[in-house]
Amino acid sequence: MIAVVGLNYKTAPIDVLEKLSAGCGREGNFPAGLKAIPGVHEILHLSTCNRVELVASADDDSRPMDMLKSVLALNGALTDHEASCLYAYRDEDAIRHLFRVASSLDSLVMGEAQILGQVKDAYRRALAENAIGIVLNRLMHRAFRTAKRVRTETGIAANPVSVSFAAVELAKKIFGSLAGKKILIIGAGEMAELTCMHLIGNGAEEITVANRSAAQAEMLAEKYHGRAVGLGALDEALCDADIVISSTGATSYVVTQDMVRSCLRKRKNRLLFLVDIAMPRDIDPAADSLENVYLYNIDHLQDIVDENMKSRRRESLKAEQIVHEEVAQYFNWLKELEAVPTIVSLRTKAEGIVRMEMEKESGWMESLESTDREKVEALVNGIVNKILHAPVTVMKEESAEFQSQDIVAAARQLFRLDD
Amino acid sequence: MFVPALACCVLAMAGYLLSLLVKKVSLARVSTWILATSFVFLSLYLLLAAVHSTGWNYFGSRHFLSIYAWAIAGIYLGSQFKSKTRLLGAFIVPFILLLLIAAAGYGSDKNLVPPQWQSWLTKLHLLLAIAGEALFVLASAAGAMFIIQNNLLKRKKPGKMGRLLPSLGELDRINHLGLLWGFPLLTVGMIAGAVYAAFVWGGRWPADPKVIWSFAIWAAYGFLLHQRLAIGWKGSRIALLSFVAFLLFLSSALVIRFCFATVHNFI
Repeated sequence: MIAVVGLNYKTAPIDVLEKLSAGCGREGNFPAGLKAIPGVHEILHLSTCNRVELVASADDDSRPMDMLKSVLALNGALTDHEASCLYAYRDEDAIRHLFRVASSLDSLVMGEAQILGQVKDAYRRALAENAIGIVLNRLMHRAFRTAKRVRTETGIAANPVSVSFAAVELAKKIFGSLAGKKILIIGAGEMAELTCMHLIGNGAEEITVANRSAAQAEMLAEKYHGRAVGLGALDEALCDADIVISSTGATSYVVTQDMVRSCLRKRKNRLLFLVDIAMPRDIDPAADSLENVYLYNIDHLQDIVDENMKSRRRESLKAEQIVHEEVAQYFNWLKELEAVPTIVSLRTKAEGIVRMEMEKESGWMESLESTDREKVEALVNGIVNKILHAPVTVMKEESAEFQSQDIVAAARQLFRLDD
Repeated sequence: MFVPALACCVLAMAGYLLSLLVKKVSLARVSTWILATSFVFLSLYLLLAAVHSTGWNYFGSRHFLSIYAWAIAGIYLGSQFKSKTRLLGAFIVPFILLLLIAAAGYGSDKNLVPPQWQSWLTKLHLLLAIAGEALFVLASAAGAMFIIQNNLLKRKKPGKMGRLLPSLGELDRINHLGLLWGFPLLTVGMIAGAVYAAFVWGGRWPADPKVIWSFAIWAAYGFLLHQRLAIGWKGSRIALLSFVAFLLFLSSALVIRFCFATVHNFI
């Protein structure tokens, strides 16, 4: 059976999650001892900021599932109460869960792109540990394929759902290309910095930081190879910038309408994008009434984000349908890994070959006496049966001990029964 | 070749409309390729017609209008190499289509250039004026789209439509380039016409309505370009004014066509 055991941001509080997770941004190691769990044939260990999971192909009874749970609990030194956050899925549910995770349907921010990379990394690590066999190999590739389909066939990842990305998208709609655009950051906040980083990632170049505290301005400016100015030089810096991100703690307007208006002529009416993410406002809303000036504050951006979130939820219905199809396909393949249908299809294939070859040679066989012809047929059938005898017997024996999946899968591959 | 060109143009028009309707830029992309096909057919049509005609037989209303449509299509498609404003076609193709339909209404020997006007200066006048006006069509279409996108962004709710339409920066650049190249071409074209007219008419110029209106529109575009280059006007104001100038141009062309007698009776 396929089993998934783990916990995520939905089922466990953050401190429990942190006990198990390798930590954000760091690649988790493949925990030693996973391969030695009795009854588990193949295993993969996925660890991100928001989830820790084991995906396994195991014997078809409840023991491996319990073992997997206790291994996780042991790894994180979880108390019994904490261990109750663990979930366990098997077969179709497990496959569906994995496909939804890879497609980012189960993510904190639905549609985010990172998770697929993390799943791929987990797969690579398990592969390097020789912990992956034919069942998980196919499962993971199906998961990647599902994720890709969800990304391309639905709009789930289409529109930004974070304030900073929404600001970047707006900047692109205003300027087209951001190459060579100048950014002015007023104040220093996490969100301002994040937005600035995304803008740079999209080609914006010159950064100026204006801050009440010169030291902090210097620090931020250095980080982005920009320059720092005091608030006194704000007028000049404003006239020079294309994109202004403001997030100071000031209680009155830092940028007034008059300041912007007096700049317009100096900057020859170049388009100006003002982003005000401060609470209370830094930039006088009246500045928006000026021509070629586009002022967005945090509420405007949040509205856009909410709208996009809604559209992602609508798109997720389509995505679930894709997951449903892919799960059904994989599960069908898995079921065929049981011994009996494989033995049947192996025999059918062999009989088919015999029949075809006989027909091919029917020309000269016509000339044989009917008794001779029967002898030839008996000989051919005998050889085929002798060759098939051993693999069929092994498959039967192994399936009696619930070990057949690997061997059946190998047989299907060796004799090309899936083509 | 004319019929396939027209058919492709109709198809492109439908594609652009559909793209606006379902808000998918991919449809506009396909439509741009269909328009390119239409352009190729039109080029072939004009080329074959040039080969088969003898000298001044070529310059009748039908070919005149077709060249006009061809120039607009060519300039728009050319602009698409440098900018990704596929949706802009939605505002350009209707005009091309209108010209082609008007062209289809004329026989190829209608409104030929009369013998006294047959000079290389007239050819220069016609071709440069067409090129200049085609560039103004592009500038104005970009202006019109700029106004819409500007409104969406100012209202703080760009939504699907805002995402679909090209960026303000790119639209403004196309408007700029259209004015920048269109104005000198139109100027030289008009001078060529004036020089030859001076030969034919001498000192006494009849009050040809087309000449008067063209001068007014030329002045309007000149004003726009001046404001752009010298004063630094940008964005929404220029966009609005170039659209108004275009409406002026369009309405004058129609009024003159249907209400006045003019030596410029091609359209």
